[in-house]
Amino acid sequence: MNQSGRSLGKEPILIAFPKGRLGDELLSRLEGTALALDQKALRSRVLRIPTATPQVQVLLLKGTDLPRYVAAGVASLGIVGSDTLDEMDVDLLELADLQFGACRLSLCGVEGLSLDALKHKPHLRLATKFLKATGAWLKREGLTAELVPLQSSVELAPILGLADAIVDLVQTGETLKAHGLAEISVLGTTSSRLIAARVAYLADPERLRPLAAEIIRLLCNK
Amino acid sequence: MGLLADAGYQELRSSLVMREPHEQAALRFFDGDHLLALRWDYTTALARMLSKRFAEPPPRVSYAGAVFRRANQPWEPVERFEVGCERIHTDEVSCEEADVELARLLMAVPATLGLRAAILQIGSAALLRRPMEAEALPKAMADAVTRALLRRAPHRVQEALGDHPATSRLLAHVEALLSEAESSDCASGLQVLDRSPYSQLLKDEREHLRKTLEALSPLIPEGLELRLDLADVQGLDFYTGPTLRLYAPGAQQELAAGGRYDGLYPQLGKPWFAAGFCVRLSPLLDLAETRPDLFISFEMETP
Repeated sequence: MNQSGRSLGKEPILIAFPKGRLGDELLSRLEGTALALDQKALRSRVLRIPTATPQVQVLLLKGTDLPRYVAAGVASLGIVGSDTLDEMDVDLLELADLQFGACRLSLCGVEGLSLDALKHKPHLRLATKFLKATGAWLKREGLTAELVPLQSSVELAPILGLADAIVDLVQTGETLKAHGLAEISVLGTTSSRLIAARVAYLADPERLRPLAAEIIRLLCNK
Repeated sequence: MGLLADAGYQELRSSLVMREPHEQAALRFFDGDHLLALRWDYTTALARMLSKRFAEPPPRVSYAGAVFRRANQPWEPVERFEVGCERIHTDEVSCEEADVELARLLMAVPATLGLRAAILQIGSAALLRRPMEAEALPKAMADAVTRALLRRAPHRVQEALGDHPATSRLLAHVEALLSEAESSDCASGLQVLDRSPYSQLLKDEREHLRKTLEALSPLIPEGLELRLDLADVQGLDFYTGPTLRLYAPGAQQELAAGGRYDGLYPQLGKPWFAAGFCVRLSPLLDLAETRPDLFISFEMETP
């Protein structure tokens, strides 16, 4: 049976793309390339969206679901923010830092609030959807705090008194400014990453490595 | 099991309940006085049994049964069925011979299972471990580097090393280990170690791998592809030398894994050397159900 594995499993390769802000930036970067999405399919309710490359299809997924699809091998490759990856315990390969969609993960509060003032609060409450990153920062700083898990509209928390401050992604700072908030401290930086299903990538390198290299070439040089 | 029995491996059965359950993934419970756990790993269970009851190790041991581990992901089962073998010896000179013997056995597994095609990847845990030991990396940093390389993410390796004095050397080494993955030619794959600043340090490991590949290459059965994976760092805390991983193209899970683990028996008070592998039956059964096209024996004859 010396037909190599390459001749088996010739199903289309599925790549998982994120929905939302990162996805919008990704799709605009891929316009006119070999991985541009079929616009008609994109506007429809098709689940597997064809690309300009035959045998390569795209799944559009919510960022927090995306790594699970890749880790389970449903999609062989994916693009997701490092902030999402760092919050999840999933076994996958992280092939490259694609560098676009860069944000700061920052501690933010109402304008005029200082880090020192927060550090001296006897019962600090921080609202965030980045529980692991916030926990790690608190540990580094030798602080303890009650973490208030939120999934969206996190900036409302300090304004309405749910928390003293928030830890959230900041790209331009315009959203913060519009809500009367400001960055107090930068905890780290995040960016988009190319991820791969471990077994699919190791077992089918002839198909996946050139595609991964092409994605890196298309996205890192723009 | 027939394949293992034919190769002289004697089946041993270990208790389903294990004491001293340090393993985080173990399913633990109290029997009233002691903390116990369901068997989470056959190799560890057998090693504990053999080190207590045997003055000299039985050289070839096999096993079959269930192990229980907490699932990392929602789709992973808690109970997993495994078949495997251990090759145990008392002298270091037998390492190469034992490693080749195990790899040959594992090479025969895909055909035994009726798989149309498979990939056997050979790596070595020592290729990262030894440079990190030589640079005296603090454990937390070494763990972070290992996690980063486990993801094959050189940018994460750089983050993990920060401004450590060995950063540039270790980054060059990691790049060499990862660059091998681009080559499917086993013979030339080892040459990338020339680019590593640790090529001299790793000359024994390289020679060991070279001899193993040289011994295996003429024996590769039809349908099996032998690959070198120098960046394989899975189980780095456990494995000390060559590692083996079996995949099937189209499958989403590793089907078998193993390698040399010379650190386990000395921890249990026996100066023995050991290597082994385990075939994961649960994903194989799933694969037979979901992708029967990958198996010769599962094809239905149409009248």
